[in-house]
Amino acid sequence: MANGFSGPVAQIVDNYLERLKKGLKGIPLKDQEELVKEIHSHIYESYRADTAGDEVARILRVLDKLGEPANVISARMPEAMVTMGKKKKLPFYILAGVLIAFFGVPLGISGLSAAVGLIIGVLALIMSFYIVAFSLILTGWLTAVILIVRLFSPGFLDPWIDVYQLVPDPTLNTVIYIFGALLMAALGFGMFWLGTRMMRGVKFVFRVLFEKVKNWRKKAPAAAAAQ
Amino acid sequence: MENKITQLRKGILELAILGCLSRGRHYGYSLVRSISGDSDIDLTEGTIYPILGRLAKEGLVQSEWVESSQGPPRKYYTLTLKGEEAFRVLDEEFKKLAAIVSNARRKPAPGDQDENLNVLSVMKETANG
Repeated sequence: MANGFSGPVAQIVDNYLERLKKGLKGIPLKDQEELVKEIHSHIYESYRADTAGDEVARILRVLDKLGEPANVISARMPEAMVTMGKKKKLPFYILAGVLIAFFGVPLGISGLSAAVGLIIGVLALIMSFYIVAFSLILTGWLTAVILIVRLFSPGFLDPWIDVYQLVPDPTLNTVIYIFGALLMAALGFGMFWLGTRMMRGVKFVFRVLFEKVKNWRKKAPAAAAAQ
Repeated sequence: MENKITQLRKGILELAILGCLSRGRHYGYSLVRSISGDSDIDLTEGTIYPILGRLAKEGLVQSEWVESSQGPPRKYYTLTLKGEEAFRVLDEEFKKLAAIVSNARRKPAPGDQDENLNVLSVMKETANG
């Protein structure tokens, strides 16, 4: 590099400018060249103004006053990195923008309907679960009560009830059926119990999701303000 | 401590650069000379370039390359209209801040009597509020 200096002074200046260039990697090439040229000019002017001592001592003094290349670029690099980051993100923003522009409204409506459908589906599932549990208990208890009455007055509700004979003895048969009915009711209670347990889990999940959304909404304006 | 000095310097150096340029155009080295003058502040000369770059980006200064009669061309900086306005505002602000600092240095710390007065007035405030 013809830097206007000669001998060891030229080498020292070259070395400094090379280190500067290395530090400037990542910012636009035009800016790099311009800054290197400017610093070169600075070194030249400073060297010319300082006339005391031999050449090497002079140039070292000049570079010492100028500071390490890091000082020249310290405030510039973060900016350069920020612009680089933005450039990388830009195509994605455009893509997202195009997608929203073309499909945004339908996507929004179908997204909403999907969410509503999901919620309704979950609610229906929970409701049917409880209805099954409730009807098991109701039928179980009702059957048990009727069968107990039939134990003491065998003809009770006879036209409507047709009991299949499991064992020859009618009393034992009724008792077996009573146990079956009670078991059914117990199954219904078990489902209720399981349901409350499951609801606790569902509630927990929903609460966690809700908190997440709340925090996210709280953080979002702060992040926007910081930019 | 080193960090605090750097922070303090950066802001004031920016103002000094604007001040220098408000009185005429400068290239990097001449700017350093006229800022530091014959003061014994150990200015790391390279630090003015990031500041100049930032000022240019903000549109407060503009630059042009001018051939020198001796050696490589020089990059001259001048204030833009926006820069002149910014300098006026910042200079006013700096004068106020400098007055605050010198006031703070001159005023003696409050004595015991002053402190009593303060406490009384605070109590009054709370009673009213």
